[in-house]
Amino acid sequence: MKKRKMFLRMITASLMRRRSRMLVALLSIAIGATVLSGLVTIYYDVPRQMGAQFRNYGANMIFTAADEDFTYDDVEKGISQIDSGDIVGVAPYRYETVRIRETPVVAAGTNMEGAKATSPFWSVDGQWCSAPEEMLIGASIAEKYRLSVGDTVEVTYTPEEEAEDGEVTVDNFILFTVTGILDTGGSEEDYIYMSLDDLETLTGTGGNIDVAELSISASADALTSYMNKINQNVGAVNARLVKRVTASETTVLSKLQALVLLVTVVVLALTMICVATTMTAVVAERRKEIGLRKAIGASDKSIITEFMGESMLLGLLGGIIGSVLGFIFAQQVSINVFSSSISFRPLLVPVTILVSIAVTGLSSLMPVRSATDVDPALVLKGE
Amino acid sequence: MFLRMIKGTLFRQWKKMIMIAFTIALGASLATAMLSVMLDVEDKVNQELKTYGANITVVPKESSVLNNLYEIEDGGSGGAYLREDELGKIKTIFWAFNIVDYAPFLNAKATLDDGSEITVVGTWFNHHIELPTGEQLDAGVVSMRSWWETESGEWLDEQGNADENSAMIGTALAYKLNLSAGDTLHVKGTKSDVTLKITGVYDAGGDEDDEIYVQLATAQKLDGLEGCIDSIEVSALTTPDNELAERAAKDPSSLTVSQYETWYCTAYVSSICYQIQEVITDSVASPVRQVADSEGAILEKTKLLMVLITILSLIGASLGICNLVTASVMERSGEIGLMKAIGAQNGAVSGLVLTEIFITAIVGGILGFFAGWGFAQIIGHSVFNSSINISPIVIPMVSVLVVIVTLIGSIPAIRMLLRLSPAEVLHGGR
Repeated sequence: MKKRKMFLRMITASLMRRRSRMLVALLSIAIGATVLSGLVTIYYDVPRQMGAQFRNYGANMIFTAADEDFTYDDVEKGISQIDSGDIVGVAPYRYETVRIRETPVVAAGTNMEGAKATSPFWSVDGQWCSAPEEMLIGASIAEKYRLSVGDTVEVTYTPEEEAEDGEVTVDNFILFTVTGILDTGGSEEDYIYMSLDDLETLTGTGGNIDVAELSISASADALTSYMNKINQNVGAVNARLVKRVTASETTVLSKLQALVLLVTVVVLALTMICVATTMTAVVAERRKEIGLRKAIGASDKSIITEFMGESMLLGLLGGIIGSVLGFIFAQQVSINVFSSSISFRPLLVPVTILVSIAVTGLSSLMPVRSATDVDPALVLKGE
Repeated sequence: MFLRMIKGTLFRQWKKMIMIAFTIALGASLATAMLSVMLDVEDKVNQELKTYGANITVVPKESSVLNNLYEIEDGGSGGAYLREDELGKIKTIFWAFNIVDYAPFLNAKATLDDGSEITVVGTWFNHHIELPTGEQLDAGVVSMRSWWETESGEWLDEQGNADENSAMIGTALAYKLNLSAGDTLHVKGTKSDVTLKITGVYDAGGDEDDEIYVQLATAQKLDGLEGCIDSIEVSALTTPDNELAERAAKDPSSLTVSQYETWYCTAYVSSICYQIQEVITDSVASPVRQVADSEGAILEKTKLLMVLITILSLIGASLGICNLVTASVMERSGEIGLMKAIGAQNGAVSGLVLTEIFITAIVGGILGFFAGWGFAQIIGHSVFNSSINISPIVIPMVSVLVVIVTLIGSIPAIRMLLRLSPAEVLHGGR
């Protein structure tokens, strides 16, 4: 009991009396721990955050009809197979040939909110349409018909059913307001986009859709397993991956992760060596003290235990400070770069503390040992 | 005497000095490696993003007009074509160096023996181009459609054993016609017919699975359209758009002369498009938003991420060096006290300590720079399979960093030592 009390007193006394040196050591350990916990948190969070950025490339899975009937309900059944946290957006599409000024145009009916989420790269000059009887038109359509934002135009549709008993088939028409012009650099510029309800009103038939685009934030393996699950469990849906997007995402994302990993390893290794040299310098300074203790009869073991206790206490403190600072750093990075917050990893705190203790312990062990190995007389003489 | 004292310290206390030099070298190498990687990461990631394919498409100007006027439904662009002989010019624009790949396309409608219609696409596979500038380039869909998988057979090799009847077929069409690599298929175009030899079946995961890809000349012959192409896809390294680029993309003539020059001489996707339009007669080049915009977003995020990591590691390295310098100067309290006791001035003592530390710092800094260069190359080769370009600005940045950090590290320690009274230090009280 007494011995332990004395041990604690020696450690705290040495920490308190040599305040400036200990502050230097503590600071360096805290830096090491900050770098460790900050970079490792970022490393684990990068795939998730970057994956979200890659969703800019648009849909990575599409649902098509497996049989005659394909309705939005079938799509929802398919979606229920996917973890709801992974879904970035779902947009159903139905394509019909309609006419503007008596020339044929392909009209797509969709859910505008869904389209916005699955195709973030659509650049709309004007406004996205939100109310009924509003539509977006592709840039080439706008040029062809000389339409601009705010114009109204009549869209007509001839029902497919044969007129019975000499009845005249009546064209359906709706007067649409152009709210925006769509610029994508792709085939979307040749279409007009309206809400699914409007298209159903226009054609007079409802229910069926042609295709649904899904944007899912998941790795290539997870996507494949979702696809298989949906194809197995939902009969009406034929799910396919958009290879161009998924294959390329895997390639680029794995490179990015490898980059962050390597950078983390290099930075960590160098910082830890830095911490170790500082600790070594701080302990080596006390060779005389060690010599003096040995001269008045302290055993090597007790000296080593005391120095270890001291540096491990520093390691513990530094590790705790570093965990907090590292998390703050990672959080700042995440907010600045990806504008989203980072999840706290509780496991990282003990790891950071353990590594700090290990590094400080090992790096002070060496100089202490070399000091205890030497004859105290030599040490005290200053050689 | 001064020199002798310094020499004495450097040689007699070499162990301590080596430790300082080592730590400074570590810090400097960390700074060098991170700065180099950070400055080069945009180019490297840009290269990787090329796997998404073309970010610019070039089509004839009149295509939509003609289609509209004469109601030509099929036949691709309906009479307006780009000229094949102008393709080389794309590599002569201002930003030619940023054009990494491009390929022309010509869609020909052809009929099979059973009367069904299919699309035959003529293009470059791995076309070898020799430019007037003497540069050589292999361009084509082999690299621009990197996500295609060959299900059976292999890629059509234009430079190898492929002749003009070689073709690749999409997996959906191959399944429908029950064909596989090595089979032949007779197709009839509007002007001539040809028996295609299938070298490979590809899986593109899109509409291309229902098409046949042949060499450009083969498709041209089918429709009698020698020297004509429908569209060009260009893969270019671009700078993310900013406000200026967006304004310029809408109307280049709205810019002032200096703004125009800045825009023209920056690798924005819109300025590259503009320059392509200048060299290809009657063409419209437009960015593929899906690729161009996403690239911009990812590049910006990656760069910002690397900048922040670099800042953290620079702070870490600086504080590390600072700490060690402080610790090692403090350690010399006995020596300094002795010097003061025998009459050394404060200025002389500080000068001596600083000079010693600086000589060590310079040695460590130079070693660290080369070590950091090595680390950067390791990162470059293992992640991107190419070396990292060290930009010259890294050298002054690292030197300034090392000097400032060493100074900051030594000043408080020296000031503290100078405040000590020699008697106390020598007595061992502090």
